[in-house]
Amino acid sequence: MIHWNADLARRLQCRDEEKKGLAPLIRRLLDLDRIARTEGFQALEPELATIGDPLLSIGLKLVMEGVSEEALEEILATYITVEDRSGWPFLKSCVIVEGLLAVAEADDPALMARKLVAYYGADKATAALEELERDPALLGGGP
Amino acid sequence: MIRSLCRGQAHRRKDYRKVTRQKKDALFDLAGRVTLLADKARGSPSSLERAAEAEKRKSLRSALALVAAGADADGLERGMSGLLAEADPGSRLELEMVTAGVRGVLAGEHYSIVMRRMAAFLGPEYFDKASAWLSEKARRRRPRIEELVVPGEMPDVVRALAINPRCLELAIRASGRAVSAAALAGCPEESVDLVKRLFDRIGAIALEEDAAYLRTRLSGDEISEAQAAFLEVVGSLEERGEIRLGGEDELGTEETFVAAFTKAILAVGPAAIRAAIKTAEGHLVATAMQGLEPEAHDHILSSLPKKETKRILDAIDEADPLPRRAIVGAGRELAARLIAASSRGAAPSLALESLAAIRDWAVQP
Repeated sequence: MIHWNADLARRLQCRDEEKKGLAPLIRRLLDLDRIARTEGFQALEPELATIGDPLLSIGLKLVMEGVSEEALEEILATYITVEDRSGWPFLKSCVIVEGLLAVAEADDPALMARKLVAYYGADKATAALEELERDPALLGGGP
Repeated sequence: MIRSLCRGQAHRRKDYRKVTRQKKDALFDLAGRVTLLADKARGSPSSLERAAEAEKRKSLRSALALVAAGADADGLERGMSGLLAEADPGSRLELEMVTAGVRGVLAGEHYSIVMRRMAAFLGPEYFDKASAWLSEKARRRRPRIEELVVPGEMPDVVRALAINPRCLELAIRASGRAVSAAALAGCPEESVDLVKRLFDRIGAIALEEDAAYLRTRLSGDEISEAQAAFLEVVGSLEERGEIRLGGEDELGTEETFVAAFTKAILAVGPAAIRAAIKTAEGHLVATAMQGLEPEAHDHILSSLPKKETKRILDAIDEADPLPRRAIVGAGRELAARLIAASSRGAAPSLALESLAAIRDWAVQP
């Protein structure tokens, strides 16, 4: 079931230039998902040293703790809510949380990619997904 | 879209950045108190009523009083929202944090989740502080309670999946935390131990305590249902080729090998054991010891100095149950090292012969 909230949608709005930051973020999240799926969740530990974003770092630690999906979502949403941001920082946080939930649920990479490109907005999501699909190593498909 | 954000009040300006560090430190201490209550309430729900009467802090007293009066999660939320209306940012933060924590207590959540929920209100800089608090609490944890084994194939499936921990992990994640914990509530300690290794220390303790808690809350039928749900997920993952169940015959050891290896070890003197194990990796010794009877474990451990004993016990704690081939392989290697160490002394020929038989043991395909 899709929940929506008009105020939230307004806060997610940001400039196209800023949205270019989504591509490397989504790729990084897909890469973390690949590591978790192929090597196990504890293999994410060395990745923590390379992560600068506190929300992503905290989220990965919670994933490694095995926190249930529902609790993980609510805890990470609390971090976002109290930060009280809007625009690109808010959009970035939302994508990180969506990606972490997909990692925790051991989502198939193709499904995870579809969830994440939605944050580009309806007009750009398809093109972003096609771009990701051109990299078979990323989505675990291809020849 | 993240449901909690849409359902919640994310669009309201919080002004929580204005809350001082001093106030946040005080709120962290309050979070610790609620977390302790969460732990206590699992074993004794009436403790919340007593806590409500004794509590001096208005926010927590109000929340506990609502719970004591029979409020459910929504009732708690509604009751607390009245207090939120005219509060300053610091008080609002406190009220929201306490409400979230007490909601977790009401839901019977593990105390580590209650702490994580509450610490999130204080921002990322309190995450590590919460981890340290939880680690310290875990150090003083209660002993385990008795296991309850519900008849079924769950323990065998967990053992088979554990041959490749990634497969076990995928099955646990795909089943969801609640189903996994409920299913494990009806499993022997060995199954819980195998799953615990998939998580970090805090997560492992939470899983073990969740399973122990659910063991006291769920009926045998409910646990069986959870196990059936888990097995269904395993079946569908296997069908999709995402996991492979190792055969039961791949686990454990041959009885003849265990008997012969145990006999050989018991014939070796303490000095040779000390010398051989001193240079052996803990993992090798721990793996080989999976092919020994308890009396041989005692013989090895009592031959070692304290520090070495601890090293080997730690390795045993960390070792996964392994396939037969790995155990026999490690046993052969340890036997070879014991022969080398024994040759330097005056080892009885019987001991050397027994060890040679282990060293040359044929590994069945």
